[in-house]
Amino acid sequence: MKAKFKLSNLYLVFVFIVIYLPIAYLIFYSFNTGATMDKFTGFSMKHYTTLLSDTRMISIVLNTVVIALLSSLLATLIGTLGALWINQLKRRSAKNAVLSVNNVLMVSPDVIIGASFLIFFSFLGFKLGFTSVLLSHIAFSIPIVVLMVLPKINEMPRTMIDAAYDLGASKWQALSRVILPTITPGIFAGYFMAFTYSLDDFAVTFFVTGNGFSTLSIEIYSRARQGVDLEVNALSTLMFLVSLLLVVGYYVLERYGHSRRVNRNKMMKGPNAQ
Amino acid sequence: MANPIIEFKNISKKYDDTPVLKKIDFEIESGKFYTLLGPSGSGKTTILRMIAGFEDPTSGEILFEGKRIDLTPANKRPINTIFQDYALFPHLNVSQNIAFGLELKKMSKTDIQAKVAESLRMVQLSGYENREIDALSGGQKQRIAIARAIANEPKVLLLDEPLSALDHKLRKEMQVELRALQQRLGITFIFVTHDQEEALALSDQIFVMNDGRILQSGTPVDIYDEPINHFVADFIGESNIVPGTMTADYLVHFDHKDFECVDAGMRPNEPVEIVIRPEDLDITSADKGKMQVTVDSQLFRGVDYQITGHDADDHEWTINSIHQTTVGAQVGLVFDPEDIHIMRFGEDEETFDARLDSYEE
Ligand SMILES: Nc1ncnc2c1ncn2[C@@H]1O[C@H](COP(=O)(O)OP(=O)(O)OP(=O)(O)O)[C@@H](O)[C@H]1O
Ligand SMILES: [Mg+2]
Repeated sequence: MKAKFKLSNLYLVFVFIVIYLPIAYLIFYSFNTGATMDKFTGFSMKHYTTLLSDTRMISIVLNTVVIALLSSLLATLIGTLGALWINQLKRRSAKNAVLSVNNVLMVSPDVIIGASFLIFFSFLGFKLGFTSVLLSHIAFSIPIVVLMVLPKINEMPRTMIDAAYDLGASKWQALSRVILPTITPGIFAGYFMAFTYSLDDFAVTFFVTGNGFSTLSIEIYSRARQGVDLEVNALSTLMFLVSLLLVVGYYVLERYGHSRRVNRNKMMKGPNAQ
Repeated sequence: MANPIIEFKNISKKYDDTPVLKKIDFEIESGKFYTLLGPSGSGKTTILRMIAGFEDPTSGEILFEGKRIDLTPANKRPINTIFQDYALFPHLNVSQNIAFGLELKKMSKTDIQAKVAESLRMVQLSGYENREIDALSGGQKQRIAIARAIANEPKVLLLDEPLSALDHKLRKEMQVELRALQQRLGITFIFVTHDQEEALALSDQIFVMNDGRILQSGTPVDIYDEPINHFVADFIGESNIVPGTMTADYLVHFDHKDFECVDAGMRPNEPVEIVIRPEDLDITSADKGKMQVTVDSQLFRGVDYQITGHDADDHEWTINSIHQTTVGAQVGLVFDPEDIHIMRFGEDEETFDARLDSYEE
């Protein structure tokens, strides 16, 4: 039993090394004085200074963030309403049909989705660029949001909504005062998922972008194809740090919320307990 | 009779062609404690949800203070519900939960505050205003649910098995409190339970239900003493039910003998069922008894012994006695004519009441 446990630990360590080694390698060379990743010739921040003076790169970063923020926001709105709508469908078959359509979108390869968006936009004579990228990001994020929000709606006891009506709430009041606050965690989770999906999407964006509009993944791809550029390393390092901070922040928030709840429970068992 | 506050007129309910309620008729008077009592699946919750407005009848009418209410949506009815799982809003604290309905009514802040404090006092949880819902025990949640409902000053309060999640001791306490609260507020309570003891202890009026029908309605004493049929007799309290025949008015035949009784109005020699409650039977020596049974088992229950035995026809008899006896012995049973209750087969409530009226003054 013990040996097995150790073996599995070893395996985990191995997997982590395999996953993180390339990233570590990349980060290491971002501080190289030279212009290639062949040999480390000395420490310097020069690739970072080039990056910060590269206005094209900075505007692309901003584009990417704007697309991610906007698309995930709109997708969250539409996805949440969609989940609420699916939930109130009376017929089981209708519910399942809509859910299947949603799931098919989830599992179908990005390439297919990207290609079909491209065909769709050119069929409509739509100019490729910011709007087409935004629309397709919204489209592929909606199923993600639905998938995150729907379980929260299902978890909510039916009697809670009845109680809202019972106390005099209209449909709208029940939604805004009871249903939405209860499913907020699911909505947030959906929003974050949609945000990260949009941030690192390559395939779909690759198909539907045009007219000089570019996002980070596209830009890095095209630069990497032209040969090694350690500015990309510097950028990747910064992005890695930002995502690390986001993850840590998320956990801290979650832990904070959790411990607050635990404290409350402790309080209950305190002086007033009977 | 005073004007009823709620009337069900010929209400039926089907879910996908499965009948759940079958031609329900009843009247509810203002200010009393009513209980719907019946086994699981008998349709109690369905009736309550119809009164609250969460469910529409398939046919029939529901009247509230003489006017039709079955077309009024739930949020417009002067009726509040206490749900079995409390259905408190977890994202709001105690006072926000209680204020929920009052805010929707656009009551002023100071009025709301006063009302919240008053409702909390009613349920003996003053000072709990700022508690979070997950920081409450089950019994406290129960009280907050009650406080939230009564803050709206409903004319009728519906309670769907509100005590079933509580432990035995707390349950008993809450029963007493509920009854006291109802009398203090003077509003109509309609309470659902499948616990007959709870129903007997709390109610002014009980509706015994089975399989989508109301079998019998009446005061706890009426229903206990004069159950209409085998189901009700068996469901309410412990009982000995044996077959017999009606020799004549006030004379019933079972265990190969005629016994004096207080029921009448049947056909001569009509087959009937005889009910005698275990606590009405007393044990004596075999020769002094009106009938004889052989003791099969004896169980000490603290207050008394529960003794079971069988008669010559192998009918089982249960006797509650404070005196001990011996297993295997033959003993005599004594009882008074009033202790015998006679039930006819297939008699409905209307004919039952009419028959009772014909010979009882
Ligand atoms: N939404 C529904 N769809 C279909 N059938 C239902 C629905 N709600 C209730 N029923 C059925 O109606 C019957 C009566 O249900 P109801 O909930 O009124 O019973 P109850 O007397 O409250 O039982 P319990 O003591 O178990 O709560 C049951 O057979 C139940 O399966
Ligand atoms: Mg029920």
